[in-house]
Amino acid sequence: MSQHKDIRVLLGNVAIARGILEAGCHVITSYPGTPSSEIMPAAVAFKKEMGLDVYTEWSVNEKVAYDNALAASIAGKRSAVAMKQVGLNVAADSLMSSAYQGVVGGMLIVSCDDPGPHSSQTEQDSRFFAMFAKVPAYDPSTPQEAMAMIKDAYDLSETFQIPVIFRPTIRLSHGKQSVRLSPPDIIERPAKFEKDPGRWAATPRFRLHLHTKLNESLRQIQERFEKDERWNYEVGENSEANLGIITCSTSYTVLTDLLEELNLKDKVNILKIGTPYPLPHKKVVDFIGRHDKVLIIEETDVVIESQIIDKSKVLGRFTGHIPLQGELIPNVIYGILAKFFGEEGVADLEVKADDELAKLVQDLGLPVRRPTLCAGCPERAAFWAIRRALPEAIYTSDIGCYTLGLNLGAVDTVIDMGAGITLASGFYQAYHQDKNDVPIVATMGDSTFYHSGTSSLINAVYNNTRFILVLLDNEITAMTGMQPTPGIGITADGTEGRKIPLEELVKGCGIKWLRNIDPYDVKEMISLLKEAHAYTKSEDGGIAVIIARRGCVIRYPEALEGQEIKVEITDDCDGCRYCIDHFECPALHFDEENERAEIDRKLCVDCGVCINVCAQKAIVPVDEEGQ
Amino acid sequence: MMRMKTQIILAGVGGQGVLFSSRIFSELGLKLGLEVTGAETHGMSQRGGSVVAHIKIGGYQSPIVRGGTADILYSLDENEAYKNLHFLRQGGLCFVNMTDGGRFDKNIRDHLKKKDITFHAFDASGMAIELGSVMAANICLVGFSVGTGLVPFTYDDLKDVLQSISRKPDLERNLKIFDTGVDLGKKQ
Ligand code: SF4
Ligand code: SF4
Repeated sequence: MSQHKDIRVLLGNVAIARGILEAGCHVITSYPGTPSSEIMPAAVAFKKEMGLDVYTEWSVNEKVAYDNALAASIAGKRSAVAMKQVGLNVAADSLMSSAYQGVVGGMLIVSCDDPGPHSSQTEQDSRFFAMFAKVPAYDPSTPQEAMAMIKDAYDLSETFQIPVIFRPTIRLSHGKQSVRLSPPDIIERPAKFEKDPGRWAATPRFRLHLHTKLNESLRQIQERFEKDERWNYEVGENSEANLGIITCSTSYTVLTDLLEELNLKDKVNILKIGTPYPLPHKKVVDFIGRHDKVLIIEETDVVIESQIIDKSKVLGRFTGHIPLQGELIPNVIYGILAKFFGEEGVADLEVKADDELAKLVQDLGLPVRRPTLCAGCPERAAFWAIRRALPEAIYTSDIGCYTLGLNLGAVDTVIDMGAGITLASGFYQAYHQDKNDVPIVATMGDSTFYHSGTSSLINAVYNNTRFILVLLDNEITAMTGMQPTPGIGITADGTEGRKIPLEELVKGCGIKWLRNIDPYDVKEMISLLKEAHAYTKSEDGGIAVIIARRGCVIRYPEALEGQEIKVEITDDCDGCRYCIDHFECPALHFDEENERAEIDRKLCVDCGVCINVCAQKAIVPVDEEGQ
Repeated sequence: MMRMKTQIILAGVGGQGVLFSSRIFSELGLKLGLEVTGAETHGMSQRGGSVVAHIKIGGYQSPIVRGGTADILYSLDENEAYKNLHFLRQGGLCFVNMTDGGRFDKNIRDHLKKKDITFHAFDASGMAIELGSVMAANICLVGFSVGTGLVPFTYDDLKDVLQSISRKPDLERNLKIFDTGVDLGKKQ
């Protein structure tokens, strides 16, 4: 890296963090979630590298993160809040209101979209949230552009005193590009809250006034976007071409590479939109006016397309030219172009996938590596116990690695953060109404419980529900890349915060039956679950909570030291595959030749949990002495 | 030396250092003063899952390689190689790490031949283990490709990159593994 100090290849999210710091931001908050999770660690790394005094916070959820950043901006500082797209649903309440009240210092809301979806419940388009809340949206195409846009977004945010949505898609967040770095702007902004109850504590009467002002700001912002040539510009300017394409985000980059590859650059003009809301409508109308047909390629939904009033020449999702779901990867855009250019008689693009190869590979019957819990994962042990102890129960669960309890048949529902508990209480009431109390086991991870478990649990206790809640405490937010939780009390930049043990929270929610267990102790956990079930049935019973605590094996490999139980599979194995199909530890393989299970020593962490699984008792601890 | 534009797919499973290889090529691009784009899989933090990285050197805009257009596929795992072959263009290059290259599916090999795709497989992991680190099979594989003389990167440039991005304690070993790969590649 030595000789090119100011040019580095950065991951999109790292470039975004860098851009935020270069723009002189003072406060950054976030809740982890793919594809946004790398922004906060990168911000922490850069602030340390550059010796900046920036406050960085992993908040307990997105709404909390939003409000903390917002307060900084109301006090005149520059703030940023980063989350994944569904996180913005959690923060929506704050977003809607703060759009009216605005900010003083610039505020950037980074909401990373996940078309595909690769790692999300929905493919929702955050730019719709900008329209819904009436705040401007920036839609970068590359990491380098993102960095430049962020500076402009802060300027806009401060000029119009309005929070701004910044929307990268996953391909930008997890894409890499060589980018040019600049030193950070140092902006002195001591916190200074100017009291103004008509604005900061606006009652409905003042809200109408704020809404009127917001509409006026939006009109002016639209004018600024109309004039802007940096984010909204034409490429090509071939006056002969009668076809146009309006595009944005990473779709713009894919399109550019494709037209280059296919040598079709002169057949079509492109209008690239970097600020989809409010849409620079005059610019768009002018562009459409100069062409016979205009195709809109935008990811993920119809934000630009729906803002165009006269659609008579427009092709897009409303006309069936663009898929309504899924990611616009290069071969999908290739297909879109083939149809468009074919219909317009411009080019005849062969859609030639190598079907023969696809078939040959398919015939190999490669093992499909469905995502599964890691070898030695304590959550697998807990799910196994739950499944054994209460096979008839309804299993409500939640979002995290443990969603994969699905594979063990111990997860029936996954809706959104916190629903593990609320669905349990809801199911309880629905069945209880019919005097048919079925066993219900809710599972939730530590980070999810801190995120949105307590309000659900308080509600469930208050309303006399009965079920078992197993808190899977692996002492980290594992799925999104090992972020700390209030349970371990370490903050975003590694400094010490205050620990808030799950036990205290659970008791504070009014729970009277609480037990702790190490889930590796499968037998004990099964009997504990039965005990818990009895409590939910007893006369003065209620909700039983079990905290199944053992650190994530990936994060805390040292936790197993000295406790290893090395296992082997004896000749008693009759090849029933039960352990592989129903326990699914990745370290257990089936040896087709010898028709028996075998252990992959490279993956096995010697947790010994699988000893409990084999009915033939073929999985046994290695007899070290006898060897 | 390097062709203006090169698209590379790096495949493997978690823990094999795919992302390190991706760094090798992005730093190479930077060193040559070329624009670099690329993409990485950042999913669940589990081990053993598929990992794919795309690297595009020399003036590309988008981070992802279109199926059927990649110049080179490096795969650290046999199965991941099959899954990512569709990225290769007619006439592309394929380097696979597997204990016994002869076991690579015959029909697929024939199919690759029809598409003028050059296929090489060898036991990079075995080699790397012998030299002290299974984690460095990726370096061995890249070295091998340079040795064959088929790839558009030079020995010196890659060696420089390895020198600048290897952690100090690994440097000597990495260079040795790289050179061993190169020598093997030359014998092809
Ligand atoms: S080890 Fe036990 S459960 Fe697994 S295949 Fe053999 S007999 Fe079946
Ligand atoms: S001991 Fe058994 S359950 Fe634990 S990692 Fe090894 S094979 Fe998997």
